[in-house]
Amino acid sequence: MVAISDILSIIVFPGALFIVAYALYCNWLIRKTVARLQNRRGPMHTGYAGLLQPFADLVKLLAKEDITPSAANKTLFQSVPILILALPLAAVFLVPIQSLTSLWAYTPIASFEGDLVIVLLIFSLIVLNVFLAGWSSSNLFGAVGATRVALTTLAYEIPLVLLMMGPAILAGSFSINKIVAWEVASVQQFIAAPSLWGLLLGIVMLIGFAICILSLLAELEMRPFDMAEAETEIVHGWQVEFSGKKLALLVLGRDVKVVLASALLTSLFLGGPTGPVLPPIVWFVIKTTLCVLILSNLSALFARFRIDQMLRWAWEYLTPLAVLQVMAIVALSWVI
Amino acid sequence: MSDREFTIPIGPQHPALKEPASFLFKVDGEVVVDVEPRIGYNHRGIEKAMEARTYIQNLYLVERVCGICSNAHQTLYAINVEDVAGIQIPPRAKYLRMFVHELERIHSHLLWVGVAAHEIGFDTLFYYVWRDREVVLDILEEISGNRVNYAWVTIGGVRRDISSDKIPKFQKMLDILAERTKYYTQVASTESTIINRASGVGYCSKADMIRLCGVGPHARASGVNKDTRRDNTYLAYDEVPFEVVTAESGDVFANVLVRVGELVQSVGIAKYALDHLPDGPIRERFTPLQKVPEGEATNMVEAQRGEDIHYICSKGDNKPYRYKIRAPTLANIPSLVVKLKGGYIADIPIVLAGIDPCFSCTDRTIFVDETREKTWDMTSDELRRYGIRWYSDGCNK
Repeated sequence: MVAISDILSIIVFPGALFIVAYALYCNWLIRKTVARLQNRRGPMHTGYAGLLQPFADLVKLLAKEDITPSAANKTLFQSVPILILALPLAAVFLVPIQSLTSLWAYTPIASFEGDLVIVLLIFSLIVLNVFLAGWSSSNLFGAVGATRVALTTLAYEIPLVLLMMGPAILAGSFSINKIVAWEVASVQQFIAAPSLWGLLLGIVMLIGFAICILSLLAELEMRPFDMAEAETEIVHGWQVEFSGKKLALLVLGRDVKVVLASALLTSLFLGGPTGPVLPPIVWFVIKTTLCVLILSNLSALFARFRIDQMLRWAWEYLTPLAVLQVMAIVALSWVI
Repeated sequence: MSDREFTIPIGPQHPALKEPASFLFKVDGEVVVDVEPRIGYNHRGIEKAMEARTYIQNLYLVERVCGICSNAHQTLYAINVEDVAGIQIPPRAKYLRMFVHELERIHSHLLWVGVAAHEIGFDTLFYYVWRDREVVLDILEEISGNRVNYAWVTIGGVRRDISSDKIPKFQKMLDILAERTKYYTQVASTESTIINRASGVGYCSKADMIRLCGVGPHARASGVNKDTRRDNTYLAYDEVPFEVVTAESGDVFANVLVRVGELVQSVGIAKYALDHLPDGPIRERFTPLQKVPEGEATNMVEAQRGEDIHYICSKGDNKPYRYKIRAPTLANIPSLVVKLKGGYIADIPIVLAGIDPCFSCTDRTIFVDETREKTWDMTSDELRRYGIRWYSDGCNK
């Protein structure tokens, strides 16, 4: 028997509706932060400080003419945008945010042993869908963008998976919820009895957080890793033929991916939606906002990499660092 | 063509191109194998239109050859007409012309640095540079009323004077610019992401550059030490101390270094011109319908993008008999092709932007029969008949 609260939590809070609204907020946050860093104003007029601008953009795109090129592979071309939105949305269901029934609980909508692996699988599936989106549009720029997506995946996917394994090894579980519970327990233990090893573990985790943010920057196709949609080079690459509703889904999908990325960072490295005094949802907002702020700061700082430079950089620095970090964690897990 | 190669069209419409021009890139994966440039999408018939207008009317037409180097074209036109008519312009007019000429170079180079930053995906630098470009545009607006197309030059001198009480204010604004350009020089030469994207990209050797007649900052970036302001001096450039900035590496990074270096020099020249502004009248009289004696002249100025050449032929009328414009971009296209070959697709926009292309200044029509290696011109009647035949008889099939 499915309780009404289960349905509500899937559809309204903390399920689909909340995630979409939060994704739009993240979109606004990125736009506003990057704009202020670039000495611009950013969204201003729709809602307080332009807060409703992403929503207005979404409605505008939904109302626009939707063109499917006659040369495109129609089935793929039409189904890919739906998948690109649905996949990250489904993945966020597995991340702890806030329970609907209890103010102080944060059990995710679905939680089972191995859901972290599912989330990583979904990350790879999104990339595959992005590749198919570019490929099925039968456009030269789309094809170039698609191959670039496939190439960049080779660069950041391995460090990303390695880094997310770290907390799982320590917690002895592949369930995100259990990892969060372990983090809370170990932080409480550290506060009760501070030790040098605990401090060292904290530093290693912080390094992991930093490398993970860089990998996620690539996963989210944010500058300096936005070569798959580089506007000045290949005219938005894999998205070039999408318009109207399909483009709206793609844009929303990217925003939900930002939520997923920051929620994962929060769960795996920042102790999930927990903290003193305030309920989980507030801590979730504070911590993910922090992650999004770091992401948008980084993306305003650099010029776009060239694809070969990025691959070399990822294999020379990112992957070895990730391997070292995981090795350090394994070593520490024996000591502690 | 092997099966690994395919052709990517950049243009006639493309975000990397601010004006229509077409480049067909034969690429192998991400590497450019061959380039086929094609210009002529923006031909406006300005040379022909000039033959039907008086010398004073042409001032404002020639200013619209280019939006960014408007003053360079206008100055050169005025120098050409004065050359044929034998008019000596007063020294104050020379300095005033030079002042605006350099301000225009500053605003154009700042614009270029911003565009180049945008092309390599560095929008933060783009917004910063364009914010500071407002300072020079404010000066131009204050002295001429316009941000571009200043209508500053007239035949025999300049149209407006700068009042002496405004000079300290302009000096202060130029000081701000000097400080900011120093900062950008430092940013451009040390920021690692810029070096990553620009260094070694779009290489053209000095020998190739001389052989293909490159001009302007584009040529100076390959180590060709030439600058019309120094080599074939005009206005009062022989009285002003300045250095010709060159770089040796011949890539986009050298382009950036040359342009930011020139920014510093230009601010210096503009400040010098304000400090040493001679007294006296600002123009010689030239009436609207005045006739110019028979003769011809060819002159050059250093526009922002390179050496700009104009030719004038007068038959003693109040209109030019023939006027010919060679804008700098045209001279830079052959060496641009060398720079593009062998590069990556990702580098195309920045290499293209590296010459600061301005295609509408460059576009000409000429008819070429490739099989018989013949070229010819057409009169407007012939062209009209050709057009009707092309569209009605299905010649385009």
